[in-house]
Amino acid sequence: MSWIACELHTHTLHSDGRQTLRELAEGAVKLGFGAIALTDHNTMSGLAGKEEIEREFGLTIIPGMEWTTFYGHMVTIGLSEFADWRQGGRSGIDRGIAEVHRLGGIAGLAHPFRIGSPACTGCFWEYEVGDWNAVDYIEVWSGTFPSIRTDNRRAFELWTAKLNAGYRIAAVSGRDWHEQEDTDEPISVTYLEIGEEESAVGGHSDKLPSEERLIRALGQGRACVTIGPLLTMTLEAGGEIWPIGSAVPADLPGTGGTAPEAGEAVRVKLSLDFSVRAELWSLPGQVFKLKLCSNRGEEASLDLPAAENIGRAGYSGEDLRRLEREAELPGSHTAAPRIWLRAELWGTVRGAYTRIAFTNAIYFDSEKEGGGSR
Amino acid sequence: MELLDIQGSAVPEQSRTHIRIPFELQAGADRMQIRFEYAPKILEDREAALDLLKESYERYILPEQREQAIARADRHLPLKNLITLSLDDPNGYRGACHRHDPVQELFVSREAASPGLMSGKLEAGTWIAMLSLHCIVTETCDYRLRIRAVAEEEPA
Ligand SMILES: [Zn+2]
Ligand SMILES: [Zn+2]
Repeated sequence: MSWIACELHTHTLHSDGRQTLRELAEGAVKLGFGAIALTDHNTMSGLAGKEEIEREFGLTIIPGMEWTTFYGHMVTIGLSEFADWRQGGRSGIDRGIAEVHRLGGIAGLAHPFRIGSPACTGCFWEYEVGDWNAVDYIEVWSGTFPSIRTDNRRAFELWTAKLNAGYRIAAVSGRDWHEQEDTDEPISVTYLEIGEEESAVGGHSDKLPSEERLIRALGQGRACVTIGPLLTMTLEAGGEIWPIGSAVPADLPGTGGTAPEAGEAVRVKLSLDFSVRAELWSLPGQVFKLKLCSNRGEEASLDLPAAENIGRAGYSGEDLRRLEREAELPGSHTAAPRIWLRAELWGTVRGAYTRIAFTNAIYFDSEKEGGGSR
Repeated sequence: MELLDIQGSAVPEQSRTHIRIPFELQAGADRMQIRFEYAPKILEDREAALDLLKESYERYILPEQREQAIARADRHLPLKNLITLSLDDPNGYRGACHRHDPVQELFVSREAASPGLMSGKLEAGTWIAMLSLHCIVTETCDYRLRIRAVAEEEPA
């Protein structure tokens, strides 16, 4: 499997961006991205000539459009055709999302808690979503150095609340990138996991990861978000490895599910890859915290002491590109079943103790319903 | 040939509404020329702007952060009107120009179009210009939309 660095929220001068697609692509490659989604406001005209630019820069460009409406901004990606953003009022978004799905795309809430009109027209999510199962993802981190921002904290809490309610929704970051400006703020990356056979053949980059596979990965929640190292996890149960985005069946022993034989410990493998986008980020030396969180709260916390800056030279100044840790969680039981689990990396960045990275969830089917929809 | 010249005046109560303006295009046009403008762009009355912002902070910002938001309200000033134009041909969507420019000279033709609009055949029939009034903050906001069809032999 391989993880592709993606920037999922961008604009060009086809809406209110101040860059061409070429300039955007060039900037994205410089920042180590393997794919971007072009999500201009209410138009897809900026995608003209995308194949040539993809080839020139070795970058996958996912077609998309940001529905820029009166009651919220919704990023839609992976559709080849236009879905009409002008329909319906505050309670009409379900039909809009259904239309995006019909056209092969997926839909996510963009910066749902950014201040709304008149400061930023329609930016605050005011739609009444009828069926949260239909929402594919939430942009929980918006902008640069997103984790410390209050509006993003609210978005992250919204995501967690929806997971707690049993919905299976992915979470991503999006810079809402409008121009090529230099910033020294940490830049967030959403990594999407695609199968080995799906990524570049034989280690050559002559074949780009296809947009369909990236869309499918995001739709299935195979996503990790970070301003530094790539944090991933897998879960071992029933002799099988369960990746991020998967749903572990209830009748499997060792899942911590609600089956009668549950109660067994859950084994989780955590992995931190420091080699990703080498030279493009660094973090000060400190004791980092690696946490496992679920609907039952913070379930485990591991200390990761790093004597020196990490990033450019691996971990703790050693030539360590990758760090693996294992954690064991107690099994859950019928009274308080574990329904989802994610990993988070915490530490102090620019003086603020904050999330540095998080994974999307692994889900646990409950005995009764056998799991959610997407 | 002039297809449309329409003027109107929008008020804040019309925020979050669309104005749908159908017009007929005859066969034989090589280029559609659109001029869209509205004014004023900015709410100059600082006190009025701050009042509007305070109202929106009530709605969008957590209670414990409102005071700080008010203290930093300047980052959201000046408040601006925003009307955007989108276009439909007889078969469907031809794009939108979502940007803040209060005067926009736009065109569509088979080979090319202004950023945001989609080039392609200029099919005869009913087209629709849609004005989306995202936000009107001034007491009134005057808009004007002019659309001309141009045939090649005719000077643009
Ligand atoms: Zn937006
Ligand atoms: Zn945007």
